Amino acid sequence: MIEPAERLAIRFTVNGREVAREVTARRSLADFLREDLMLTGTHVGCEHGVCGACTVLVEGRSARSCLLFAVQLDGATVTTIEGLTPPEGLSPLQQAFCHTHAMQCGFCTPGMIVVTTELLEKNPAPTTDEIRESLAGQLCMCTGYVNIVRAVEQAAATARNATGEAA
Amino acid sequence: MSGPWVGAALPLKEDVRLVAGRGRFIDDLGWPGMLHAAVLRSPHAHARIRSIDAGQAFACPGVTAVLTGADAARLSGPIRPLIPTTAAVPDYCLAVDVVRYVGEPVAAVAAADRATAEDALELIRVEYEPLPAVVDPHEAMRPGATLLYPELGTNVVWHDTLSYGDVDGAMARAHGVLRERFTIQRYASTPLETFGAMAAYDPGTDGFEFWTNDQRPGLTISILAASLGVPQSRLRLSCPDIGGAFGNKRRPAYLLICALLSRIAGRPVKWIEDRVENLTALMHACNGVMDVELAYQADGTLLALSVRDVADEGKNLLTPTQHNLIKLGNIANGYRIPAIRYEAWSVLTNKCPSGANRGIGKPFMCFAVERSMAILARRLGLDPAELRLRNYVTAAEMPYTTPPGAQYDSGDYPATLHTALERFDYAGWRAEQSRARQEGRLLGIGIATSVEPAGTNLASYELVTGRRSVSGSAEAAMVRMEPDGNVRVAIGDPASGQGYETVIAQIVADELGLAPEAVSVARGFDSAVSPWLYLSGNYSNKFSVTDVGAIVGAARLVADKLRRLAGHRLEIAPGDLDLRDGAVVVRGAPDRRVAFVELCRTAYADVLGLPPGEAPGLEAHHAYQNPLAAPVDADRRVRSQLVFSNAAHCCLVEVHPRTGVVTVLKYVVVHDCGRELNPLIVEGMVHGSTVHGIGAALLEEFRYDGQGQLLTATFLDYLKPTATDVPEIEVDRLEHPSPFTALGAKGVGEGGAIPGPAAVANAVEDALAAFGVTVRELPITPEHVWRWIARDKNP
Repeated sequence: MIEPAERLAIRFTVNGREVAREVTARRSLADFLREDLMLTGTHVGCEHGVCGACTVLVEGRSARSCLLFAVQLDGATVTTIEGLTPPEGLSPLQQAFCHTHAMQCGFCTPGMIVVTTELLEKNPAPTTDEIRESLAGQLCMCTGYVNIVRAVEQAAATARNATGEAA
Repeated sequence: MSGPWVGAALPLKEDVRLVAGRGRFIDDLGWPGMLHAAVLRSPHAHARIRSIDAGQAFACPGVTAVLTGADAARLSGPIRPLIPTTAAVPDYCLAVDVVRYVGEPVAAVAAADRATAEDALELIRVEYEPLPAVVDPHEAMRPGATLLYPELGTNVVWHDTLSYGDVDGAMARAHGVLRERFTIQRYASTPLETFGAMAAYDPGTDGFEFWTNDQRPGLTISILAASLGVPQSRLRLSCPDIGGAFGNKRRPAYLLICALLSRIAGRPVKWIEDRVENLTALMHACNGVMDVELAYQADGTLLALSVRDVADEGKNLLTPTQHNLIKLGNIANGYRIPAIRYEAWSVLTNKCPSGANRGIGKPFMCFAVERSMAILARRLGLDPAELRLRNYVTAAEMPYTTPPGAQYDSGDYPATLHTALERFDYAGWRAEQSRARQEGRLLGIGIATSVEPAGTNLASYELVTGRRSVSGSAEAAMVRMEPDGNVRVAIGDPASGQGYETVIAQIVADELGLAPEAVSVARGFDSAVSPWLYLSGNYSNKFSVTDVGAIVGAARLVADKLRRLAGHRLEIAPGDLDLRDGAVVVRGAPDRRVAFVELCRTAYADVLGLPPGEAPGLEAHHAYQNPLAAPVDADRRVRSQLVFSNAAHCCLVEVHPRTGVVTVLKYVVVHDCGRELNPLIVEGMVHGSTVHGIGAALLEEFRYDGQGQLLTATFLDYLKPTATDVPEIEVDRLEHPSPFTALGAKGVGEGGAIPGPAAVANAVEDALAAFGVTVRELPITPEHVWRWIARDKNP
């Protein structure tokens, strides 16, 4: 039996870098990313797995970091908003979010970028319904989702055009 | 792209950092040695605190300080109310002796980390003596009701009747009088970032430093200073990026808790609200019950409106009566109603304190009027659009003053509705609706139109308090051209998603003849640096009404000085000079110019080159109050809000007859907020506020049981609209500038939230026409709809 405050050693990959730390068994992945690794782009909005603000990619699949314990990630690969942002400038999806003003307060935005990055990797030409479906686990209190849907449509169209030109 | 910049749909400067997770929110900040606080809350809606034993919690490893209500009452003063009702009673940051709602803070712990602090809370022993709870506002109003404050002798903190014109005469003369009772639930805009604060006591200066996402810092500083017994000059309060606010982010109690813990512990203390705390105890919009009497002629012309309005304030001692008072701004909505009576009750109950929430009270007022118009249209056999067109205040009548004193400044309400009907394809959808009905599909079309007031004139509080202590609507700004010719701007209003860094840069760029890239707007707020007033802050839709005036005023002072400095150098009258492309240019002789950087060198470095009598520097402060604000007049009329946008919402819903589920299929908004400073920002706000309205109509409800236990304390039970719950909001606009704001802009933040609930409700009722259903309550849950249909089948 492991006590909640017991410290355990973990080793995993975050945004391409190997991380080895000791953490308490009860530390959530969200708190670990934000407080131990100072990756504050991942936001915490509800801590009960509904709002989606804390979503990160685990092994390339979206996951609620508030519902995972850091110790569960031993050996895993995690990508956060910091890992999805290029060292210089912004990703094409992030640029589309800016062009369409797909955020207001910006608190939900990192989670939105994470799930729509995942969507476009699986499905480069999503329909509007598929985009809305992919956002259904993410709450935004500011935008009414309209411009977020537009941003994903625009990013998908831009990527298709670029591919078309290359071919 | 080149200027003019105001009016351009410029992508937002702040979006570039926010989209990469590089915003700086309250929970991203910290100080060395900082402790983390957790708050113990009441499990009872009403109980006497017999004893609190925090000894074990204090002995817990990692715990540095514990604070109880008794400590709070010893170490700080009561929290000063914004609207002191005649019956003010002391309210401290923690409950003392009695708890009055589930979730009320009872004690707080500061520890090395949040988990340790929460562990320690479990070791605090509180002995409660439960008291009967009063949960329903009508129960609370009855003689003999359980009282929240026996010393007040009543739960009613305000009851008054405001009469404007001969309402009884009009009722007697009328062809008919529509009488309906409407109710609205408790809901909130629930910004995705919860509330939070950090406080650090400095024993060296006996002062405090705060960071918080409080949206109204000017007011909060004065409350903190009074409670802590410290001069305001020894408090410094700053705001970082704020993750949405909508009125909810203001609860000075938590700043005081952090401040007291910090003074006890000798270390900085941070507290971040969790979501359950947020939904249980931050603030809710009042639930309420409204009785409407609407007198009309046979042709549908409105003659008089009488409203009896009960607002359930919960345990709100700080801002009670706001939900009532503010309805005077939109009680007439867009209509010519010659006589109006408003009878108000603000009632305390054992529920979460009410507070500001996108539109405060106005969504309910609009709901009652626009539901009444839909019912009246049916009664008279008129199309609901036609009934409205017969009653609108017209463009030719502007500015128009309603009986309670609201002045509609500009707009063409009939044109707004016509544009919306066209854009929606009203005729086409009516035909489709008939076809669908034959197939057994329940389609409904809802229209709601609204005025959107902006800029609260605090003088209106005099209607409640009987004396004027605060008044007007104002904001302060600072514009400084730095020595390198770039410009820095700060205001007393911290943004929470409104794009101030971009839109203010656009405004200043136009005033100074620069590109917006040359203008940096301070993020957030810092009381030691930002200019501010008691009235400062992010509230009441006031940016266009006051902030823009302050910014333009300060920028023009800098522009004037640039002209004087250049005029001195060029030996030309300042009146013959223009500011363009980063230089002062001689009008008609563009080759004769002085670059701003040259003038900056004179202003900051080579000051012997200044004209005689001119002070060094290129910095100006300007505080602006909107000229429309005036005191309450002898007939108790007041411009409680100052400038009025307007909108028409048309929506199409489908009701599933067996499950009662309502699906919004199409939603069109045509709005007019005067001159749009940045249409990208404006359109985004319309989308978001409209979805707030849809959420209130169909999903959201803080539901309490008879004992005052909140049943919807997580986002699993308190449902917010998701991307699959709402359609694309289609937006079109008219632009009738306000003659009474600095650049002709008007409020836009609350617009969609005000008529949204009425539009959806009207559509649902239209869909259920065959069942004879009248929608009188919100939210319209599947359960409600199913029962309404079933009632018709089994009368």
